[in-house]
Amino acid sequence: MNRLKTFSLLFFLQLICLHALGQDLRISASVNQNNITDKDVLIFSVTLEGISDFPEVPPPESPDFVLISGPSQSSSIQIINGKMSASKTVSWQIAPTRAGKLMINPISIKYRGKIYSTEPVIVNVTASAPAQPRSAPPSGTPDKQVTPSSGEEVFLKAVVPKTTIYMGEELIVSFDLYFKNVRTFGRKKLPDAQGFWKEELDAPTQPVITNETVNGVAYRKATIQQIALFATTTGELTIDPMVVDCEVIQPSQRRSIFDDFFGGSFFDDPMFSKTKIVTVQSEPIKIRVRPLPESGQPASFIGAVGQFKIESKIDTLQVKQDQALTLQYKISGSGNINAIKLPPPSLPNSVEVFEPKIEKKIDKSSGSIKGSVTYEYVLIPRRPGLLTVPAIWFSYFDPQTETYRTISTSSFKVKIVGSEDMLSDRSVGLNKTEVSLLGQDIRFIIRENPVWRKSGQTVFSEFWFWLINGFSMLVIIGAITLRWWTEKMESNLTFARRRQAWSKWQNRLRILQKMADNVVGEDFYAQLSQAVNGYIADRLGLPLAGLGPKEIEQELRRYAIDSELITKTVKLLEKLDEIRFLPGMIIADDPKEMLSSSREIVSALSKVI
Amino acid sequence: MKYLRLLILILSLTVGLIAENPAELDSLFEQGNRAYQEENYPEAIRLYESIIARGYESGPLYFNLANAYYRVNNIGYAILNYERAARLMPNDPNVAFNLQLANLSVKDRVEAPPPFFLFRWYQNFLNLFSTRGWAVIFSILLLIAASSFAVWLNLDLRRLRRGIKSLFIVSGALSIIVALILFQKYRIETASDFGIVLSGTVSSLSAPQAGSTELFIIHEGTKFKILDSDGNWLKIELVDGKQGWVLSADVAKI
Repeated sequence: MNRLKTFSLLFFLQLICLHALGQDLRISASVNQNNITDKDVLIFSVTLEGISDFPEVPPPESPDFVLISGPSQSSSIQIINGKMSASKTVSWQIAPTRAGKLMINPISIKYRGKIYSTEPVIVNVTASAPAQPRSAPPSGTPDKQVTPSSGEEVFLKAVVPKTTIYMGEELIVSFDLYFKNVRTFGRKKLPDAQGFWKEELDAPTQPVITNETVNGVAYRKATIQQIALFATTTGELTIDPMVVDCEVIQPSQRRSIFDDFFGGSFFDDPMFSKTKIVTVQSEPIKIRVRPLPESGQPASFIGAVGQFKIESKIDTLQVKQDQALTLQYKISGSGNINAIKLPPPSLPNSVEVFEPKIEKKIDKSSGSIKGSVTYEYVLIPRRPGLLTVPAIWFSYFDPQTETYRTISTSSFKVKIVGSEDMLSDRSVGLNKTEVSLLGQDIRFIIRENPVWRKSGQTVFSEFWFWLINGFSMLVIIGAITLRWWTEKMESNLTFARRRQAWSKWQNRLRILQKMADNVVGEDFYAQLSQAVNGYIADRLGLPLAGLGPKEIEQELRRYAIDSELITKTVKLLEKLDEIRFLPGMIIADDPKEMLSSSREIVSALSKVI
Repeated sequence: MKYLRLLILILSLTVGLIAENPAELDSLFEQGNRAYQEENYPEAIRLYESIIARGYESGPLYFNLANAYYRVNNIGYAILNYERAARLMPNDPNVAFNLQLANLSVKDRVEAPPPFFLFRWYQNFLNLFSTRGWAVIFSILLLIAASSFAVWLNLDLRRLRRGIKSLFIVSGALSIIVALILFQKYRIETASDFGIVLSGTVSSLSAPQAGSTELFIIHEGTKFKILDSDGNWLKIELVDGKQGWVLSADVAKI
């Protein structure tokens, strides 16, 4: 039974479709009001008729209007006497951005190769002066003289602290609702802001209402919305209007005895009043965004603007090898938290660093964007030793002082302890003798006082070494010299005579001395003559035979000898010869005197020959 | 008279050098030993090091200092000082034993290829005496050679002459050999071409620059040969032939 029903329905629908196929599309555009003020909102509708498979309808385009909400759709299919009529209405809420005769552009739809267009719609917008709302007493203060107004008694104002900001600087836009008698309001559209990072600040659930007089008219004011904007580009940027629907209380016209009786307060209570929805919107605001100054920009700057502080935290300063450490960097402050990035800490290869866990916290409750970014690194040191976690530098631009600031964390020194089971661990690679050493203790210290020596001193800088070896060398040199001497003495007669002359003379002199002490005979003079002659002959290398005073004089003349010494020598020799060869003439000359004069002469000669 | 004065000067110089054994050093050494026995190892280290800071050294000093470092588990310094003690006392069994024991605590077990047996014998032979010992032997041999030479050259002792000649030849040849050994020992002793890793872990890099590639890691107490130096960097070679650059602050020359 059910299946039959479904089948028949399908068949029926098919019929409709076939039927509709041949029909034309009719399209029309309309607005709900043609005469409005610039604070009102229009409903713009496009109606399509005649077909059942409706194409998409593009939104209205007009430079003078902003789209507030939509599209909303309604469609209907009617079958009257077997004739089906289908229609679809698409509508948007739009608001004018200025006063004047404004045109909503025609809307074109392409359907089965044909283009269908609506007519343009002209709307007459009159300017409304929010400063001069027509009437309406503030709620709770009944005023019988006041006539109800059409709804201009409420307006929205966007407030910015300044219109020139730096790129990345926080700009708080406040939307203040000025009103007299509003029961509720609903945010219809939050402002768009191209080129900004937008953060809605937490709106108070119960806005604080203050009284304010604008152009002589008393209003009540409530800041209903605050947004924080951070420019991401430079240049001239626009903050679009915000649109709010307000439920405006229309004071009751009815006046009764009860009103007078109860002072009007009872029936003027909003609960019992008629209300009307009034849509208000703020003015768009132009903001000039300046680029950040180039000069003084630190290398570590990556775009953070505001006021920040950085802190680092490490969970322990001593950890075992291969155990995880948690290193945390936290930047907190107010400003464009989203732009904060931290470079990874530069750690040695021996430390395994995992991808950081990045946590962003944004606090919107305190009237500006505050928050923190936390980078949490997990490190696993793979080697024992002292690990230095270097400081991290972070730069930001402070728009209040218009300067760049660089802040840093402190560095950490973490002691990485090697694994405890050192011996058992490493006994694997040990050889037999080494294994036998395990468990043994070192031998005790030496307690006898040692021989100290200067550091860096070697044997070669010690004196005794050179003394002994120098002596040995002297012995060798001496031995060689002695050998050379004896050999020369043996082989060279002249040399030997010359060398031995003095000792020979000395020996003879000793004998002569003895002789002179005793009885002096001819023999004494002969021997003395022989000794002197022998000495001179030995020194000069002359043969003894045939050597007389004259020959000696001749030979002596060859040397550069004092002539006085030569004459003395010759005289002495002549005298000795005389005594020798004329034995009778033993003169009175004292032999001792003779001996000493000979000694003097020979001594003098020994210095020159 | 002149010669006598010179002789006195020479003698006093010699005596001054040999007898430079200040009581102060002995007292520091004894205090250090006492601190060691009382297990106050840091104080012992301080006292021993103060002797070294005064510019003096000795084998037993390095040995005791190394023991103290071993006790406070500072293996790098312990091995450094055992090695220094071994340099001055190559035949001391206690030094050899403690060095071997301390080497067990070194993380790197770089096995040296076993040395050629002749080379080992040669090493053992060199280590029979310290440099000073070899110097004494050399001096005595040279003295014997010189005197026998002098006697043989200049005195005719008839029957003894032959014996003296052979004495000269033998002692002369020996003194030349010992001179070569002494020179070798001196080179080994003074050339500080070995080092010990002092700090926990040292990265050995491919070039003497902080950012260059890490080749291998050596640990506290590892011994290595120094090949070259460049500023703060040392080029090292491990026993197994691996080469790399390390910061000289992390290591010490023996």
